Amino acid sequence: MKSWHRFAICVTLGLIGGAAFAVHQVRGGMANGTISNGPWTTGKSFGTADASALTRAKVALSGLLALPAKEAMYFTAKVDSDGKPLDGRCTYLVSGGKLDGRWWSITLYEGEGWLVKNSANRWSVPASAVDQAEDGIWSLTMAPDRQSGVWLPTGEVPAFDLTLRLYHPSPAVIGNPAKAMLPAIKRLGCA
Amino acid sequence: MRQWLFPIVAAVAVAAGAYQATLLATPYVLMNAAIKKVGERGPENRFAFGHMATADNQPIVRPSPDLSYSTCAFNLAKGPVLIDVEPVPDRYWSVSIFDARTDVAAVRSDRDTGGKAARLALVKDGQKAPAGYEPVRLDHDRGIALIRILLADPAEFPVIDAIRRKSTCKVL
Repeated sequence: MKSWHRFAICVTLGLIGGAAFAVHQVRGGMANGTISNGPWTTGKSFGTADASALTRAKVALSGLLALPAKEAMYFTAKVDSDGKPLDGRCTYLVSGGKLDGRWWSITLYEGEGWLVKNSANRWSVPASAVDQAEDGIWSLTMAPDRQSGVWLPTGEVPAFDLTLRLYHPSPAVIGNPAKAMLPAIKRLGCA
Repeated sequence: MRQWLFPIVAAVAVAAGAYQATLLATPYVLMNAAIKKVGERGPENRFAFGHMATADNQPIVRPSPDLSYSTCAFNLAKGPVLIDVEPVPDRYWSVSIFDARTDVAAVRSDRDTGGKAARLALVKDGQKAPAGYEPVRLDHDRGIALIRILLADPAEFPVIDAIRRKSTCKVL
């Protein structure tokens, strides 16, 4: 084998391998440089020039046109509070207290971030839709079938995730999202 | 085996370069696709007023079904672009300017304007914002201006839609 053949083979493999590894990392969720809080994860540099090349690429893929933290924080949950992956064939109770921001909503997605078809044509629950007790406690049920109270349909998809949007979060949440009071996600049972 | 030493070193260097280049290129490629998609809904430098996101209407990945989105694919090649956002009372709204690399160049919400209109001039180096407009400096010609308006109830849409259509995106 001639020398240039060896170089051609290695350089080609290097090109493909480097690009493939980058794609794999970008598609591999937001684990890089993220902050965890129970089942929720977030990043503090979405949409800003401070974001690393990897974070920016991940956000471009899964949350293009996201806002910076001072305007909105995006918390994503792919698992319940016990760490089990969210499954659209199961029923979950999502419960929390007053969230420290001006307004919030919880939206259910499948795949890389697509709304799930369902009979109720409901894809999210905003703060205004839940009944808050005097102490600020509220809850909603995620399930494939209609539920009493506030119901967020799962569409029976095998895997889904949630995005909690907190608009105009308080300085305390922006400064320390790991300590923010966020809802718990409890699995009640599976079909 | 020694014959492979330099080719393997070259492969590692090329792999590192390809890795970094792919990461750096990804936001531009995806933003370009988004600009193209927004461009299909209306001409350049004009707001397109989208319907509420549903499972059958998802103009961007991870849309919020509680927000009305209005988008303008802007291009500064012919001069500064002026963004005038009609305020919507008693609710969260914002306008955000994203550059070709997906970075946020500016965000102004009802909290920032005190409920008044937002007036932004998107300019490159050497261009000036006209009086009455807040300059937003950009390093790239192209990008997306996005207005988000919160709807507490989908039934509010016709009223909100009529107000937001007074917002404009135009070349100076």
